[in-house]
Amino acid sequence: MFQASPINHHNAQIQKRFKMLFGGMMVILIIPVVIILATLIFRGWHSISWTFIFTDPTNGMTAGGIFPALFGTIWLVVVSMLASVPLGVAAAIYLSEYAPDNMLTRLINLATINLAGVPSIVHALFGVGAFVTFFKFGTSILAASLTLAIMTLPVVIVSSWESLQSVPRPFREACWNMGATRWQTIWNVVLPNAFTGILTGIILQVSRAAGETAPIMFTGAAMFLPFLPNSVFDQTMALALHLFVVATQVPDVPESLPFGVALVLVGIVMIMNTVAIWIRMHLRGKKKW
Amino acid sequence: MVTASQQVKNKIEVKDLVISYGSNAILRHVTLDVRENEIFGIIGPANSGKTSFLNAINRMDMMRSNMTVTGSVSIDGINTREWRNVYALRRKIGVVFPLPVGLPLTVYDNVALAPRLAGTAGTKADLDELVERCLRRAALWDEVKDRLTHLGSLLSGGQQQRLTIARALSQSPEILMLDEFSIAVDPVTTMRIEDVLKELKAEMTIILVTNLVQQANRLADRTAFFLNGDCIEIGTTEQLFSGKAKDQRTNDYIGGKFG
Repeated sequence: MFQASPINHHNAQIQKRFKMLFGGMMVILIIPVVIILATLIFRGWHSISWTFIFTDPTNGMTAGGIFPALFGTIWLVVVSMLASVPLGVAAAIYLSEYAPDNMLTRLINLATINLAGVPSIVHALFGVGAFVTFFKFGTSILAASLTLAIMTLPVVIVSSWESLQSVPRPFREACWNMGATRWQTIWNVVLPNAFTGILTGIILQVSRAAGETAPIMFTGAAMFLPFLPNSVFDQTMALALHLFVVATQVPDVPESLPFGVALVLVGIVMIMNTVAIWIRMHLRGKKKW
Repeated sequence: MVTASQQVKNKIEVKDLVISYGSNAILRHVTLDVRENEIFGIIGPANSGKTSFLNAINRMDMMRSNMTVTGSVSIDGINTREWRNVYALRRKIGVVFPLPVGLPLTVYDNVALAPRLAGTAGTKADLDELVERCLRRAALWDEVKDRLTHLGSLLSGGQQQRLTIARALSQSPEILMLDEFSIAVDPVTTMRIEDVLKELKAEMTIILVTNLVQQANRLADRTAFFLNGDCIEIGTTEQLFSGKAKDQRTNDYIGGKFG
């Protein structure tokens, strides 16, 4: 009764081939990631130690640690988050919940998505013009962080917008119908359910900022500073720029040093991404509808 | 004390209502009255403007950028366009949707949300009492009384629909609008909800949009027949369902010849 016909066999064959094709594509994609990580770990791991992480570079940056750069990167990321997160989330709430569905809104959405694709060096030049020169912040953590914030803002907006839009519209309708204002609806129903998505989106985007070199190069990051910044108006070292410098600008650097710096940088990004995925899994685990 | 004159008092007066989306009029020149404490049925096939009619009554057209409403809707003799606070207007009107919408809050919070938003929640004991009363009246209390802290959005479809009704009742509404509430509900639950509606009629005015002609027959005092954006006929349910409708199309629809 249930004999497979030739056409069933044929379909099963095709199914197998497509599965192998897509599987093969995935393997090809994973290869570079594995090679990069393996190289970093094998060639960089013996430079990693507590002294490497917690001491200053010495001997013209050919020895010693990376503490000022690590510390500077944390500064830059935190200050840029303080600027981009409230602004980006607020803009996303406006675009998703308040803005009328018309040409102007669609144009703004399109512009935001396009802005996310602007090369970071262009953001860097904007930062020099706007924050360093016009607002007279000089080359400082503030100017560099704001430049990073401008760069991450579009992606923060887009990812927050997507999280807000993923909350089903009938929830909003039900709330409005019972006499809730738009804000009451956003606060009681939309935000609690979009929160996880917004948070993980922010972490993923901000972790990108930690690895950027171009936007901070001209706006606040220094090649070498023998002291830690005291305020946002000081210059600072940063990991990404430090890596560039020890890898290309300084002679006689032991080979393992740039790999160690790169490993720390990748490690920071990976830790942030892992936290984001962890949050998503644990909070999303309680499925709400 | 209900006197004869109060029994025929009009709760809602709709005059020359036209609803359009963009340049497309989907409801044209509807004039009708809904009397206090009656169940007013609206029947008609899909796309005849029934849901839009409900949206116009509680002014949800404000939330839809391309929906325009002309003509007037008055509640208790006051034009809804002249209500200073549209949120207060909507609080007087409970709405139940075709597909059950249990908000992703606990069962308790689902029912407590409206009073909390309105700032009329009162003490914890008051609120507990209100939540229990609304759930009992929606014929749901016995099934959820031990699960008040569970998510309302994870109840079964029929339970969620009764939760929606409990939530609408928590607004202490003067008008209850039900939009094809039985679409996603099993027949037994439908019957239980219908019994609830018959009781609620004593306290509020009910507008029942339904695509089940017999449901209108069972519940409604008067029924309107909408077809393709026109209100074809309004009559007492007895009149329409005994084959004495004035318009042949109404007879055909009720008789099951189309729709």
